Amino acid sequence: MDEQLLEPVRENIYQLNLGPQHPSTHGVLRVLLKLDGEYIVEAEPVIGYGHRGHEKMGENHTYLQFMPNTSRMDYLSGLIYNHGYCLAVEKMCGIEVPERARYIRVICAELNRISSHLLWFGTYVMDLGGFTPFLYCFDDREQILDLLDGVSGSRLTYSYCRFGGVNRDVDDAFVAGARRFIARLRSRWVDYHNLVTKNVIFIHRVRDVGIIDRDLALRFGVTGPNLRAAGVAYDLRKIEPYEVYDRFDFEVPIGGKGDAQDRYHVRLAEMEQSCRIIEQAIEALPAGRFRNEYRYQHVTPPKGDYYLGFESARGATGYYLVSDGSRYPYRCHIRVPSFGNLQVLTEVLKGTMVADAISILGSVDLVIPEIDR
Amino acid sequence: MATNDALIEQLRTLVGAPAVTADLDFSRGITAEVRVTLAQLWPALEACRDAGYFLETITGLDFVDTNELVYQVNRYEPRCRIALRLLCGKDQKVPTVSDIFSSALWQEREVWEFFGIRFTDHPDLKPLLLPEDTDFHPLQKDFGKVHAYRRRDEIYG
Amino acid sequence: MTETVVAAAGSGWLRIIIGLIVVLLFSQLNALFLVWLERKVAGHIQLRPGPMEVGPHGILQTIADGIKLVGKELITPRSADRILFVIAPVLVFMPVLVAFLVLPFDQHLIIRDMNVGLLLIFAFSTFSVLAILLGGWASNNKYALLGAIRSVAQNVAYEIPLLLSVMSVVLMTHSFRFSEIVAAQHRFWFIFLQPVAGLIFFIAATAETNRAPFDIPEAESELIAGFHTEYSGMRFGLFFLAEYTNMFIVSAVAASLFFGGWQGPFGFSLGLPGLVWFLIKVYILLFVLMWFRWTFPRVRFDQLMNFSWKVMIPLSLANLLVTAVVVKLI
Repeated sequence: MDEQLLEPVRENIYQLNLGPQHPSTHGVLRVLLKLDGEYIVEAEPVIGYGHRGHEKMGENHTYLQFMPNTSRMDYLSGLIYNHGYCLAVEKMCGIEVPERARYIRVICAELNRISSHLLWFGTYVMDLGGFTPFLYCFDDREQILDLLDGVSGSRLTYSYCRFGGVNRDVDDAFVAGARRFIARLRSRWVDYHNLVTKNVIFIHRVRDVGIIDRDLALRFGVTGPNLRAAGVAYDLRKIEPYEVYDRFDFEVPIGGKGDAQDRYHVRLAEMEQSCRIIEQAIEALPAGRFRNEYRYQHVTPPKGDYYLGFESARGATGYYLVSDGSRYPYRCHIRVPSFGNLQVLTEVLKGTMVADAISILGSVDLVIPEIDR
Repeated sequence: MATNDALIEQLRTLVGAPAVTADLDFSRGITAEVRVTLAQLWPALEACRDAGYFLETITGLDFVDTNELVYQVNRYEPRCRIALRLLCGKDQKVPTVSDIFSSALWQEREVWEFFGIRFTDHPDLKPLLLPEDTDFHPLQKDFGKVHAYRRRDEIYG
Repeated sequence: MTETVVAAAGSGWLRIIIGLIVVLLFSQLNALFLVWLERKVAGHIQLRPGPMEVGPHGILQTIADGIKLVGKELITPRSADRILFVIAPVLVFMPVLVAFLVLPFDQHLIIRDMNVGLLLIFAFSTFSVLAILLGGWASNNKYALLGAIRSVAQNVAYEIPLLLSVMSVVLMTHSFRFSEIVAAQHRFWFIFLQPVAGLIFFIAATAETNRAPFDIPEAESELIAGFHTEYSGMRFGLFFLAEYTNMFIVSAVAASLFFGGWQGPFGFSLGLPGLVWFLIKVYILLFVLMWFRWTFPRVRFDQLMNFSWKVMIPLSLANLLVTAVVVKLI
């Protein structure tokens, strides 16, 4: 009895449900926090609120029918997902893609990547309490959405790529618009840096917060900007060059410690690299067909499986397709980067404060529907 | 490519040369395919971890005659994606690999809820994406709308 | 003209009653105006026009919002402490009204020029923290409770530098009476003589009013809405109005203590009446507060505390000491 009294009973630990309807969980993520005051003792992400069964749907749709699903997993970089899916099926079937289409795809995918990073930038600063940069970013992002809307007819769920090309050709207005956007974005860096990067409060909120180092990343399969922030130059566009990425001159920005500040800087630098890729692609954009003459309606890849890894805005993504020789894939598995990026937080969030948890959650750039699939 | 060969050679000695198919020109998106048995799974994955690889994804496959698990490991540089394929019977339990790769904690939960493949010694084997009281396994080929339910040799010969 | 009005009102109970009615009207209208102003300022900082639909440039927007809030259902959570839950929003607005009694709008436009006016304001402004704590506690919601706890800790921490910075002004004027403090700034505003105290006062006042970057009690990205998470309708509206009225009060106190109150700069009134000078200063300070909010991210709780205990309090103590020595020597 006495011993029990002396034993410091951790009664002051309580549970807090962060989400699923919380302003900063971006989607329907719920994190079950065990708190000691404001300090997190344990954090358990609870996911699946947005589960739609894309993998099952993949088995019940023909290869082309599944295309619209791909942009609905990661709705912020849907075009990159379309792109990866097309590449996977094309590789399986051995479909040749016209040069022009390959460049168009890269331009659009990189525009999409910038728009995704811009949205991340805005919402991240908003998570930290700064509301204004959010609207600046949305203003910039809107330009991209307009551009992509012009070519694909959709603002978020593009379904723009087709087996053997793209849905529609780009015109001079698009090219000029892309050029104008890049010039505009570059002129905005000064504002962003003055408003956010150099802000002393911001620096104190992100420095040494939520460190994901190389070892931790390796254990949890963290990829993308979160991994690059830890100093690992792992970018599938460089390591496993797909499409025409090996023809462009761009760098893979890396950080050092892997804290939230590094992740922030890596993403900002990536936007600039994407701008460079777009510029080079526009410069080299060849004339010719934007799509093969033959419209692939029902492709029947040969039996066997294929894995295609590509770099979405959030990291290494991949389609694992198994074909049984019919019009329907036998298995359609998607490796999503946010999966590992979220899972690592069970380790990272321990011992931080609630306010830091928000900062960390925001800094890893999660898209929950992508995890839920 | 020298380091590529190091791990692949190690796996060759571990699981026997015929079980390893190296494909250095990447025609199926992977560098090497390794067929492992239940007993070889742990040593093989431990060798991968020690060589600095991370677990990219675990995929389940459901065939009429068998289940199959595909563990994909990859490393940062240079590219070397290795797929370890494990055939497991319909009711066979698979040892968890979450002690080797922490990311397997969730991926195995996902495989369990979708395919009904049980993992032994997993610390918290409950559904991940589906509600916690789910009692069906939606990616099994006898659930819901299905186009084809095949034997493994119909696809892989 | 103000003199005649004030003289007609006399100095007894009548003056108090008339003053109270004017204060009630003014504080409500002012809060409505400030909400509109905040949205406009936010809009223009964020490259958008802000409210434009209701009235010219949306000036009537907050009235429309107010009507909406009045019409909304007042939800009381089942597990809440009913009495405290209902009292808290009333309690938060009450001290705000009291503070108006001693604010010097003009030389004669003070409802009650008490010799402890300054103390009265700070005594009552502390009261609103109690209301926030009650509201957060009574809601029986973890987010609300966290917000309330943060609010109390923050207010305790920032009350000290706030009062210390005010003390250095009091040392110079030997008075807690607003009219005397303002009159003492006839030539030089105290912001020139006490820049450190002025800065500390303004920072601490921002924290006292729970404004960004110190808005951690209601940090919407962390605590949903902090202490008023469970409040709806006009109960939420009262918290909201109290926040804006509080902003007005701290700006008014800052204007009186450091920016010469109703007096023009360096004794030049430029023909403008004292009331106009006073309001100009107050609204400029209010604008700065809004500017803060839409520019800065939020500080973290422990950083906020560290900043108060490790920087602001030592600095204000040192400033007080220097002031005391200088005043003694002169």
